[in-house]
Amino acid sequence: MKIKNATGLVVPLLSILLAFIIGGIIMAALGANPLEAMQYLIKGSFGTVNALGNTLNKATPLIYCGLCACFAYKCGVFNLGGEGQFLCGAMTACVVALLLGEKGVEGWLICLLCLILGTIAGGIWGFIPGILKITRGQNEMIISIMLNYVATLFMGVIYTNWMRDASVPQTLQVPQADRLGRIFPRLRFTWGFAIAVAVGILMWIFLFKTSAGFKIRAVGYNMTASRFNGFPVKKLMFVSFIVSGAVAGLGGAAELMGTQFRLINGFGAGYGFDGVAMALIGQLNPLATILVAVFFAALRVGSTSMQAATGVPTSVSDIIQALVIIFTVAGLALVKLPEFEAFRLRLTSGKKEA
Amino acid sequence: MAEILRMEGISKRFGNFYANKNINLSIEEGEVHTLLGENGAGKSTLMNILIGLYQPTEGKIFFKGKEVHIESPDHAARLGIGMVHQHFMLVKAMTVFENIILGEKHSKGLFINREARRKEIIELSERYGLDIELDKLITDLAVGAQQRVEILKALYHGAELLVLDEPSAALTDTEVEGLFAIMRKLTSEGKSIIFISHKMREVLHISDRITILRLGEVVTTVNRGDVDGQQLADMMIGRELKPSHYEKKVVPHDPVVELKSVDFSKDNKHNGLNGVSLAVNKGEILGIAGVDGNGQTQLAQVIAGVITPDAGTVDLGGNKIQIFDPNDFINKGVAHIPEDRNLQGLVGDMTIADNLVLKETENPRFSGGIFLKQGVINQYAKDMIQKYDIRCQGYDQDVRSLSGGNQQKVILAREIESEPDLLIAVHPTRGLDIGAADFVHEQMIKARAENVGILLISADFDEILEMSDRILVIFEGQIMGEFSGKNPPIEEISLAMTGNRKGGRA
Repeated sequence: MKIKNATGLVVPLLSILLAFIIGGIIMAALGANPLEAMQYLIKGSFGTVNALGNTLNKATPLIYCGLCACFAYKCGVFNLGGEGQFLCGAMTACVVALLLGEKGVEGWLICLLCLILGTIAGGIWGFIPGILKITRGQNEMIISIMLNYVATLFMGVIYTNWMRDASVPQTLQVPQADRLGRIFPRLRFTWGFAIAVAVGILMWIFLFKTSAGFKIRAVGYNMTASRFNGFPVKKLMFVSFIVSGAVAGLGGAAELMGTQFRLINGFGAGYGFDGVAMALIGQLNPLATILVAVFFAALRVGSTSMQAATGVPTSVSDIIQALVIIFTVAGLALVKLPEFEAFRLRLTSGKKEA
Repeated sequence: MAEILRMEGISKRFGNFYANKNINLSIEEGEVHTLLGENGAGKSTLMNILIGLYQPTEGKIFFKGKEVHIESPDHAARLGIGMVHQHFMLVKAMTVFENIILGEKHSKGLFINREARRKEIIELSERYGLDIELDKLITDLAVGAQQRVEILKALYHGAELLVLDEPSAALTDTEVEGLFAIMRKLTSEGKSIIFISHKMREVLHISDRITILRLGEVVTTVNRGDVDGQQLADMMIGRELKPSHYEKKVVPHDPVVELKSVDFSKDNKHNGLNGVSLAVNKGEILGIAGVDGNGQTQLAQVIAGVITPDAGTVDLGGNKIQIFDPNDFINKGVAHIPEDRNLQGLVGDMTIADNLVLKETENPRFSGGIFLKQGVINQYAKDMIQKYDIRCQGYDQDVRSLSGGNQQKVILAREIESEPDLLIAVHPTRGLDIGAADFVHEQMIKARAENVGILLISADFDEILEMSDRILVIFEGQIMGEFSGKNPPIEEISLAMTGNRKGGRA
């Protein structure tokens, strides 16, 4: 148990170190001083109160999508539809807020309503692949990916047609009074971040402390044994798909009500798959997933200052992010190999002899 | 007759275990030579050596008088050794013709001269009476026809010696007759056949000579005319009755579970049940003897509620079961030590404590409605580790990292502590060392004393003899007879395990 936790921590940390070393080499090859560039990368993301606010704000949607992937995977179903569910949440929130806003109905209650309806919409988008999987045996990965396109294109209909803001292909902004406020006025992140962290903590408690969470984990680890031991495997998978979608939907609503305020081309693009990566690096632990999401947000936010100060393009930061994902996933697969276990045993027994 | 194949002193060792030990086998041209043995007797290992999948640890192989080192199945095919596997190796979405020329090595140039190939194949097919339509898709063929495609494919690739691995297993009786006709035709043309089977009737019908394997060694090679089924079964199973450590009981008819004419995919002889009726009574151990893969898996899963029978009834504690759901069976007092402990019994990535309460997460003792009582669970796990002598680093160790014996003890603890009325134990000591196996047996006897009805399904005949108060024999999904567990008639049981009904003649 202790050994497992240790490798679970060592692998991502080593991966990050390796990714930064390679990133440093690339920076040097571009003619910049890697140490200086990395300094700006860190300063730009955590160095000032403003930067910290930006980082946490950027992390918020990533956390929701990471938790979305985390919950489904924990139950052994692969929800790749985080993005679609995220968009469904955002669209619902946006449409409801704008329609009510036209009638002059606004305020924090409307914000709450939008978040709840967004959650439900995400859940419904997760319901579709879930029900097709358990009743028809369809591959949930394919269906959930395809539904991403449906959601993206549907959003296009909203901002280019139904609720278009005059000549610009985007919707109007939701009313000021509906928006999610900042927790600290000087920091850019909103209550959406606080809700995300709360969802993560609740998810952790649910998965690791409750009877129902126990069953979900058991199904995720070994579906056959769970069935033999009397768990309603299909029902659990179905429910976890819906919950997973609902978390992403809440994230979409929170992003819209807190940061973007309107639907526009490119809204939420890529968050679904980012979330999958966060969850995998966080090894399906909701709390770890939150930390990973903040880390990735920091790389993204900090890369702008890095480019401004040293001329190293932001894409180097993208390379580092990609390398972290590759190394972690490969590393976690590596330590599961029996050869690695044998190697480790040889090392430790060697130490004892010496 | 000339000798086509001689295997001399073949041994194959895996770790400390000899799957084959000093095996001598000689096959003559034009004969059907049967390899007869229980599962695990070493037939498959020997054939895998012959077709080059394994390299022997020791020994020599002579083919047509020359010593050969068979490197790969491809090499074996070039020498003239072809194998028809029990599970066919055909590409289902391709036609018969395409499957046959697939992997052909001696084609020259980029394109295939289809017409010449076709002619050659049709000639072969007619010569041996294989009756195959070349342009049909494999998917559209019956099992028997697919098998003929495999045979034709081997012949087309130049096989002189054909290995048929349990070829009759999936066939209907008429198809088996057809297969035998083809086999005779082949041998009359000088081809040789190694026939693997454990069905006595067929073996006596088709073989010229029979080599009996047991525990990786050759018992003897005999001519068909020189033995009868009883003698063969004795040599194959080969045991003398050892006194059991446990007193055998006869209990009154008071079933905890009763099956009446249960069918499950009954045309499937290896994975089906055909009209099975049986009852397990309170306080007895009912042993199911049989060669592996005769429906034991399905029997256990029907009684555990994992699969739903096609016909027949299952009564649990006097109530007829309507819906087959494992949870319902568990609530009705059925405990199950499943056949594959890692796949079906345990969640390897969870801890010993988690696995011990796997079925009890709704139990108020361990759960306060929503939250688990982790403290209670941990204490319980500590107690169980003591009581069942589970050797581990602590209750929070992952089950995956335990030895097989200790994993089995975790399952045993969980199932017995659930205070069941019925315990289904499938191969409960498979892969365990003697100490752990004895421990499992003692716990079963203890449970029997507490009036638990136990269904013991095992391919280990010794285990059945040692433990059972009553013995039923299963063959091709059917119950072949019932025998007393006290002074069990070993010969009769052996014969029943190879497909002869109690009281019938071989």
